[in-house]
Amino acid sequence: MLISGRRGCLLQARRHLALTCPSAAKIAPPRRPREKVEIPGLEVITYGERMHYVPGLAKPVYPPWEKDYKDPGYYKSPPAQEMALYKQKPCYVFNQRTSMLEGVRQAAWLTKTQVNSGLPPHLLTLAESLESRVEDQSERVQNAIKHARFWDTTESRPDKEKYSKTLLLNLLHLCATLQSSSSAQRRRILAENYSLAATWRRGEDLFQVRGQNGLLQCSMDALPQVCEEKDISATVDHVLETFYPVSPTIDLQKVNVYKEMNCTGFRDDYLYPHAHTLYFLESTDPQWKLKPDQFRAKMFMFAFGNALARAHKLYGTEPQSLLQRPITVQAVGSNGRIFQFLVFQLNTTDLDQDEGIKNQMWLDADVELYDFAKVRPLVKKKQVKVPAGLSGYKAEAFRKFLALYLHGAA
Amino acid sequence: MAVSCLTRALRSLSLSRPVLVSSQAAPQPKLGALVSSGAGQWRGFLTTASLEQNRTYWKQREKYSIRPMGMKKTGGRDHTGRVRTHGIGGGHKQKYRMIDFQRLRYEAPDGGRPFEEKVVEVRYDPCRSADIALVAGGNRKRWIIATETMQAGNIIKTSGVIGRMAVSANEGDAYPLGALPVGTLVNNLEVQPGRGAEYIRAAGTSGVLLRKVNGTAIVQLPSKQQVQVLETCMVTVGRVSNVDHNKRVIGKAGRNRWLGIRPSSGLWQRKGGWAGRKIKPLPPMKSYVNRPSISAA
Repeated sequence: MLISGRRGCLLQARRHLALTCPSAAKIAPPRRPREKVEIPGLEVITYGERMHYVPGLAKPVYPPWEKDYKDPGYYKSPPAQEMALYKQKPCYVFNQRTSMLEGVRQAAWLTKTQVNSGLPPHLLTLAESLESRVEDQSERVQNAIKHARFWDTTESRPDKEKYSKTLLLNLLHLCATLQSSSSAQRRRILAENYSLAATWRRGEDLFQVRGQNGLLQCSMDALPQVCEEKDISATVDHVLETFYPVSPTIDLQKVNVYKEMNCTGFRDDYLYPHAHTLYFLESTDPQWKLKPDQFRAKMFMFAFGNALARAHKLYGTEPQSLLQRPITVQAVGSNGRIFQFLVFQLNTTDLDQDEGIKNQMWLDADVELYDFAKVRPLVKKKQVKVPAGLSGYKAEAFRKFLALYLHGAA
Repeated sequence: MAVSCLTRALRSLSLSRPVLVSSQAAPQPKLGALVSSGAGQWRGFLTTASLEQNRTYWKQREKYSIRPMGMKKTGGRDHTGRVRTHGIGGGHKQKYRMIDFQRLRYEAPDGGRPFEEKVVEVRYDPCRSADIALVAGGNRKRWIIATETMQAGNIIKTSGVIGRMAVSANEGDAYPLGALPVGTLVNNLEVQPGRGAEYIRAAGTSGVLLRKVNGTAIVQLPSKQQVQVLETCMVTVGRVSNVDHNKRVIGKAGRNRWLGIRPSSGLWQRKGGWAGRKIKPLPPMKSYVNRPSISAA
């Protein structure tokens, strides 16, 4: 009915049901209203007073009416310049959806950190010593994986979002049972959906980490220092990697309305003030999907944010070149199969200049927990390539997971 | 009000006598100018909302973004809904990536110095024959037309400065025509400074800088046509990417349909003077340089 047949009509308002019609021609284009000339100083006589249209008189122009009462149903926020927290100097904010172009390198520059690959040595020895705590440890882990990947749903297989979360919670529960004393367990608690805020200056720019990151395990005791004093002082010689011509503030959200605050997410009288480990899961929203490098950068930035907020609370917001007690925060990220382990140590809050003592970070990237967990076997040319069920389980990933969990408690 | 329109129009329906609809319908602009001519001719009235599907709202975004955006296909139809160009329709869905053709676009409004950018990614663009490259410089990222040997990780330079000596340009860099040596292969030519590249953008094409004549430069386009432009017009050095595009073989009718090309009419039509090989001299050089004429004084 919309555009009929060979003699389609102009869309505007015409419909005709005949096939041949001499007046299916185009109508004249709508006339533009004549331009109004403003002559300053000239008093315009309008028909406003007469309350009805009079040809020849001008149209009255009234000031826009604004409500003198506050109506929350129809509230329009003022433009940025008129807001109370507006500042001339912009602030670059890293939030949980930011995908940094250069990934871990950019995060290292922003936080003045030296990146080491692999976990710190004594954590690795701790991981090896936990080899056979309980005889059926590996069987328990495999059961946990099977529960998350196969048994948790009434459908044929659970979604990625669901199974990665279930797997993480199962592994955490396993680690808690493997902990030697229950008193150590009582000194830890899990927290979720807390809002973090940390502010720091780097060069001439102001940076902030804001947002709700993943699951946090907090504890009553702080994590011990991971490396010795001489290693910390050796970081002075390390030169931060720059990536000209890309500016380090690329992809960060630039805001002019902000509040310079540092907040760990909890109140001052919280019983478990020290952030122990952060657990991150990959988001499944296709719009905000992060590449592996960007995911690691996100873990890094939030671990740094937690450490910095804690440091500001303990030692004040004045930049300090060397903290008395370096603050350590761990982070684990996973997509259900591949794990990324991160240990971050905050040595200094003096992030203004590029020289001086740097913070340190140990990153163990792409550790696989298992190869395949298939519901149906992969068969090529009538030969089973990958069997159904869990295959290719590697114990190393869980050992590291357990080591990070038990670090500082055992 | 709509109901009263409807009832008034329905009341005017009458098969016996000619309808004087115009006087009744005049105050309602929605029904349009109904013409009462002849006997029994009746104009229907609009029962649907105005057709917005022909509007090109998806193209009206002013702010630049690197995110691919959904396109609406026109099928060769214009704003009236009729076929303006035959042979267009169907084909795979495509997302439009906003390409920045103005290479010399400074990030800060007061920037005037040459700058460098890093190529992040070179990828296929469904909307054109050439490949596109995502480049990042300073705080911004943008898409540009990729040149032949551009790869991820390269650094490309853009400069608006014309020095006394010609610059030895690398491929992918953008300079004004006055700064390049004569004989360089160029692409993405803009004919007026600041207008944005409109020529030599197709896959594998390149123009040649022929000579530089006091303040203007003469470039030969891929069609051998010569063009005279101001020497401050920006141009990129090298050939456009996807060089083997003209050697590809479509192979089957279906591939053409995937590209959105519908079959031409099978009706045999007598060919006129336009058909056949033509051998004629090159058209005269086209000049885009506006000089104030003597007669204007």
